[in-house]
Amino acid sequence: MSKILVVADTKGSDVRKPTLELLTKTRKAGLSTDAVVIGQGVQKNADLLAGNGAATVYVADDAGLAQFATAPYAAAIVDAAKQSGATQVWLSVGEMSKALGGALAVRLDGAFVSDVVELELKGDEVIATRPAMATKVLQRVTFAHPGIRIIAVRSGAFDAEPQPPKTAKVVALATPKGDERAKVKGLVAAQDAGELDLGEARIIVSVGRGVKGPEGVELVRPLAKALGAAFGASRAVVDSGWMPYSAQVGQTGRVVAPDIYVAIGVSGAIQHLAGMSGSKLIVAVNKDADAPIFSVADYGMVADLFKAVPIMIEEVAKHKQ
Amino acid sequence: MNIVVPIKSVIDVELNIRVQEGKIAKDGMSYIISKWDENAIEAALQLKEKHGGEVTVVSVGPDRASESLRKALAMGADKAVHVNDPAAEDSDSFGFAKILAKVAQRGPFDLIITGKQAQDTDMGGTGPILAELLGLPQVYNVIKLESDEPSTLKLNRLGHQGQEMVELKLPALIAANDSLNEPRLASLRGIMAAKKKPLDVLKLADLGLSPDEVGAKGARVRTLEFQPPKRRAAGKKFEGDAEEVTRKVMDLLANEAKIFA
Ligand SMILES: Cc1cc2nc3c(=O)[nH]c(=O)nc-3n(C[C@H](O)[C@H](O)[C@H](O)COP(=O)(O)OP(=O)(O)OC[C@H]3O[C@@H](n4cnc5c(N)ncnc54)[C@H](O)[C@@H]3O)c2cc1C
Ligand SMILES: Nc1ncnc2c1ncn2[C@@H]1O[C@H](COP(=O)(O)O)[C@@H](O)[C@H]1O
Repeated sequence: MSKILVVADTKGSDVRKPTLELLTKTRKAGLSTDAVVIGQGVQKNADLLAGNGAATVYVADDAGLAQFATAPYAAAIVDAAKQSGATQVWLSVGEMSKALGGALAVRLDGAFVSDVVELELKGDEVIATRPAMATKVLQRVTFAHPGIRIIAVRSGAFDAEPQPPKTAKVVALATPKGDERAKVKGLVAAQDAGELDLGEARIIVSVGRGVKGPEGVELVRPLAKALGAAFGASRAVVDSGWMPYSAQVGQTGRVVAPDIYVAIGVSGAIQHLAGMSGSKLIVAVNKDADAPIFSVADYGMVADLFKAVPIMIEEVAKHKQ
Repeated sequence: MNIVVPIKSVIDVELNIRVQEGKIAKDGMSYIISKWDENAIEAALQLKEKHGGEVTVVSVGPDRASESLRKALAMGADKAVHVNDPAAEDSDSFGFAKILAKVAQRGPFDLIITGKQAQDTDMGGTGPILAELLGLPQVYNVIKLESDEPSTLKLNRLGHQGQEMVELKLPALIAANDSLNEPRLASLRGIMAAKKKPLDVLKLADLGLSPDEVGAKGARVRTLEFQPPKRRAAGKKFEGDAEEVTRKVMDLLANEAKIFA
């Protein structure tokens, strides 16, 4: 019998939407599902996870788990997987899912596949589809090993249909063992608490080197605000220090798939496209008609962004009235 | 500080990639060191320049992998190991990690630096699996590295909540993000010197591995096929006066795409 263990993805102490996407998928497919949530102050999410389909919710709630570290997080998941009898462990793709997935593959003697965008399931026979080579190809893979299948799914692969909380069956996990050799010392620059999370936003506005500098960034920021959008950037902008690392969209930054992605002054290099071409609707502003971003844009504006953006802001205000 | 850097020779993904009958067409392709692995080499060379020691580059792959290794030697690595065995081809991340673990264990080392992911697979599993197989602590997605003393690294990684600081005791494994550094180019002198540096060629048997454990046979994750990506429906592009273009598209976004609904 197959049994899925969904690893909840949290921001602060709150469960993020990608977790509800995974639970919606297993609930609709009628798959036997448990969940595990790890962090500090995360116990409060148990009923939400139960309401969305987790039969048992395993909780590792400890001050020492406030920040991600591979060893204790992997240890908690291994504990939960063993107690639940899971045959599959599902993670949401994030900065740390690759480290975690690899570690779990060894500790659970299973196999790991990252960046999954489609899953065909027949019990534990799994066919996963994932982009490879900077999304220039799709790779269909299967598991050729009897061990646990560890699958990291990209946000947006499944739709979330959130359900109301209900009283959970909770199992508290023993505090997992950390690794003293890798000590997380804290954050260099905390994300602005007011900022919308790129991984959860319905709309993302991103800026590229075309904005020329910090003033250009500030020209575009009100557009993101007006649209209720998260604010992202290309690597060129992040490397120039105009925006923080946490804003970087692309293969080395965040991989996102919002309903609407608005690229302003971004050329559309493959590493950037690899991070956003799964968006449902793409809008681009670029003064170069041959910019590769137009090959993925549903609506392309060949225009000077310094002229276009103020008008966009004005138009958004009009339509929002 | 003795550092091992696993590097993969990959198809240059900037080229036009074609799929034929479920496989990647190999004709006309050129191969490069996977970009993030170049960042790993650079980080290793900088640590060596600071603390002394040796940098060993390792690649598992067919004949062409030796070109990537020579390039790394020309950049400044001291030794290279080439695991060239047909039975190792088509390994998955777990298989490559098993082979790399055996190579690393041939001598004492303080640090292993991998790329965050290989540009052909984009999987990102090999480094983390390798660390676990060797019982090493690991830090993934490293964007900044300082080391005042050779026993400890002070790292920033791009993590879940932004830039996180981690202090790492060696021996350990880290996986490099491309923001970590700007890889150096090989100098002419470096290229000449590389010709005289040792490049060991090994078979699986030399590492005590049987062909069933790795390669296509031992793969825990098996590729069924490759497909071309799903094409997006052709979009619309508007040119002309900036104000007209902008108002036109905003109108379409509102009334056709209904983004404000
Ligand atoms: C291993 C590796 C990983 C990478 N990872 C990432 C990643 O995660 N994310 C990422 O983004 N990149 C990544 N890159 C870098 C990528 O290759 C590009 O260099 C980068 O995306 C370029 O950023 P850009 O589009 O902002 O800048 P540019 O390529 O310089 O583009 C600027 C664009 O702005 C337009 N423009 C200029 N002025 C105006 C104006 N007044 N009005 C309108 N348009 C204007 C120009 O026509 C141009 O198209 C990676 C590269 C490598 C090798
Ligand atoms: N065949 C190989 N030879 C040497 N190093 C490899 C090989 N495959 C993967 N690696 C290393 O593991 C990293 C991640 O690979 P992957 O798991 O395929 O994304 C790469 O950046 C390399 O550092």
